[in-house]
Amino acid sequence: MTCWRLSINATFQPGRNHDFVVMQSSRYLASGRRMERRSLWWVAFGLAIALALYSSGIVQSAIQGELLNLGGWSLVQRFLAASLHPDLSSEFVRLTLNATGVTLAFAVCGTVLSLGLGFVGGILSSEVWWQTLFPTRPALRYLGQGVQFGLAIPRAIHELIWGLLFVNLFGLDPLVGLLAIALPFGAIVAKVFSDILDETPREPLHALIHSGVPPLSAWLYGLLPQALPNLLSYSFYRFECSLRAAAVLGIIGAGGLGYEIFLSLQSLRYEQLWTLFYALILLNGSVDMASAALRHRLGAPTRLDLNLKSRSDIPSQELHPHESDNLQRQEAARTERVARSALMGRPSTDWSLIGAAGAIALLIILCFSSIGADWGQLMTATPWERLGAIAQETLPMTVSRAELQTLARLAGQTLSMSLLAIAIASFGGISLSFLAAHNFLQPGGLLFPSRRTEPGIFKNLRRWLMVGLSRLFLLLCRAIPAPIWALVCLFVLFPGIFPGAIALAIHNLGILGRLMAEGVENLDAKPLQALKAQGTTAPLVFLYGVLPLCLPRFLAYSLYRWEVCMRETVIVGLVGAGGLGRLLTEQLSSFDYSGVMVTLSFFVALTFGVDWVSRQMGRSLR
Amino acid sequence: MSFYRSSAAQSPLRYDTVPALELSRVSHQFGKFEALSDISLRVEAGERVALVGSSGAGKSTLLRLMNGTLMPASGEIWVLGQRLDRLSHKRLRGVQQQMGTIYQQFHLINSLRVVHNVNAGHLGRWPFWKAAASLLYPLDVKIAARALEQVGIPEKLFARTDQLSGGEQQRVALARVLVQNPALILADEPIASLDPELSRSMMNLLRDLTTELGKTLIVSLHSVEFARSHCDRLIGLRQGQILFDAPATQVSDDMLEALYQRDVPARSQS
Repeated sequence: MTCWRLSINATFQPGRNHDFVVMQSSRYLASGRRMERRSLWWVAFGLAIALALYSSGIVQSAIQGELLNLGGWSLVQRFLAASLHPDLSSEFVRLTLNATGVTLAFAVCGTVLSLGLGFVGGILSSEVWWQTLFPTRPALRYLGQGVQFGLAIPRAIHELIWGLLFVNLFGLDPLVGLLAIALPFGAIVAKVFSDILDETPREPLHALIHSGVPPLSAWLYGLLPQALPNLLSYSFYRFECSLRAAAVLGIIGAGGLGYEIFLSLQSLRYEQLWTLFYALILLNGSVDMASAALRHRLGAPTRLDLNLKSRSDIPSQELHPHESDNLQRQEAARTERVARSALMGRPSTDWSLIGAAGAIALLIILCFSSIGADWGQLMTATPWERLGAIAQETLPMTVSRAELQTLARLAGQTLSMSLLAIAIASFGGISLSFLAAHNFLQPGGLLFPSRRTEPGIFKNLRRWLMVGLSRLFLLLCRAIPAPIWALVCLFVLFPGIFPGAIALAIHNLGILGRLMAEGVENLDAKPLQALKAQGTTAPLVFLYGVLPLCLPRFLAYSLYRWEVCMRETVIVGLVGAGGLGRLLTEQLSSFDYSGVMVTLSFFVALTFGVDWVSRQMGRSLR
Repeated sequence: MSFYRSSAAQSPLRYDTVPALELSRVSHQFGKFEALSDISLRVEAGERVALVGSSGAGKSTLLRLMNGTLMPASGEIWVLGQRLDRLSHKRLRGVQQQMGTIYQQFHLINSLRVVHNVNAGHLGRWPFWKAAASLLYPLDVKIAARALEQVGIPEKLFARTDQLSGGEQQRVALARVLVQNPALILADEPIASLDPELSRSMMNLLRDLTTELGKTLIVSLHSVEFARSHCDRLIGLRQGQILFDAPATQVSDDMLEALYQRDVPARSQS
């Protein structure tokens, strides 16, 4: 410290042309401290969260000491105690296995359908498709934008609402669950796919076109292969999402684990409940692991980067050093194999990938045949006639003043619920992501990049245990559907939007925490090594290196997730948490279609609003 | 070279009587910036022409006008006897198939194997189904292997393109052009991203292959040395205009000094 001061004194002589420097630097200082307009968004966001907390009524009830319903405490104890001895009778295990199969089948078929729909929709709504194929007709680009706008509405409505709507059209048929996943997810996939296609570098495509290649061939050859790793990576993530959706849809009657969990919970059979929970956790855990392994093998980017790239206004890392290293290693092995095979022969085949592809194809066929949906119904006139009748009922869309006030109040509740949920989920997710990342606390990891791994396994056991436990916790959070969490919360909390928000927060915390842990694991270690090399302690490496590298991307992804939370308020509305979701489910079950139409319009408008605000805020992170 | 399927031979035009390329009074602006003004030149079949000049002189714009990426604001561009801006989309494609372009940044499809990138040279002739099938199971592999042998990297046939070094990627781009088998090869700063050693071997390849196969070469270069040693004609561009157009042997040091001297602000000249 003294050294530093000395050197300043030695070189800094006032009165010479340093004055100019001081003037300049003070001007920069002032500009740095001035509050930027875009950071006002974050102040507003903080105030909104505070307001949401206040309006949810927990502050008042906490003051009056009525926050917890202590009468339900014994239920919680019973519930937790049951986790140690789940029902493992052969009869119930068989039931659980069946239910697991049903949930998996719905997820697989829903994913396949939504990917098919999304692929076509994504191509048709991408700018590059119309520009490449019809370069002389720029007006056709509006057609693509039209497709994109048309897909925004199915996207804004949660799959549960679609499910309830389709039940009224097709009756209790597996078709309902399939279409309820396929339609909104197809629209989401279309959006992401079109963004990926449009973000893919176009120079190779243009190079082909300008050497006289017909447009369709040029597109297929010059654009699609470049976008393929991203498309595949996103497809795997979609499968994970479909699995969670299939569990939720089970609750409204599609069968499977969700349905069985709901039944056991209602009849207070906690031992059975935990058997089903464990099945769901195992299913989710193995699917997540398989998808991560396949993505890694294909060298595909993580979802965090995909979503951020697709919004294009947020910083993202291009290629992770971690993954590129891995790619190079794989490539080295591959080139060796090629070199060993005859020079002019075919590329050596990667049998493990082909095996995986074959297994996936077989699984898809098996799932479609086991679900046995009545596809013929789509061809018959009945559901379409019903749809026509419903449309007619909605037509005179009249709203009274009183109804409008109710709607506005419920919209406020929905907004508070989503705000609270995302605030808790992102705080928890960000904190836990560091504990769950395998390269964070370990020696040789991000905080201690120069330290070698100690030889004994037992010395590191405590650290590995922490990683394992936090991962298990995140898995538990995301595997259990949000409405089930809501019902569990209702043991000790009074009904209202607060338990709903907590339930959504727990579920989304699990999802966010896992994605962010992946983000931490793919962090570029070089800047951290540089900090470490100058003798910085671990906490300061975290504060000056890890956190600044992670936080903008994590916050950006949380903002994106806010919109998802907004949509999901519907599913906790189902079990009695307030907001528009509850009204919507009531109206749907009493066939009040004109009311449904009005509420849905409110809901869609609210979702678009949240999307706009989160985009504006995301821009301030650039 | 009958090894590559030549579509030039099937065309009714006789290439030996028309110039390979002719520009007359071509100008082009980007907004208010005059990138090229009043360019006229004629390149005969079989010539090797270097475009030299400092950055921003208009070399890339000129090449992009020649291969039909840009259309001139005024003036005429004739390639193999066809006026580019008068052609229908389909006919323009036909002419573009007779021009192969190599870029400084390669513009290869990175996620594909080398064989597919070389095969992309066929795409102007292949029907869509064949292009699609070849992505799943590479077709005409022998032609691709032969082209890679000519550019000196036969062992990279099935490697992934993004795993190659810059020099190797530029060779893949050249192999693609060989498979495309055009009458004209245009190259935009093909060696600007390569080290001196690789630059020399790349320029040797370009010179030898175009001579051997009887192609016309138009290449923009930063390096005057390579322009003089590997081409038989130099066109000096300065601020969008042709400063000189002379055989390589007649380009003097004075001419080059005039070409590269620091820009004098336009105000003080008038």
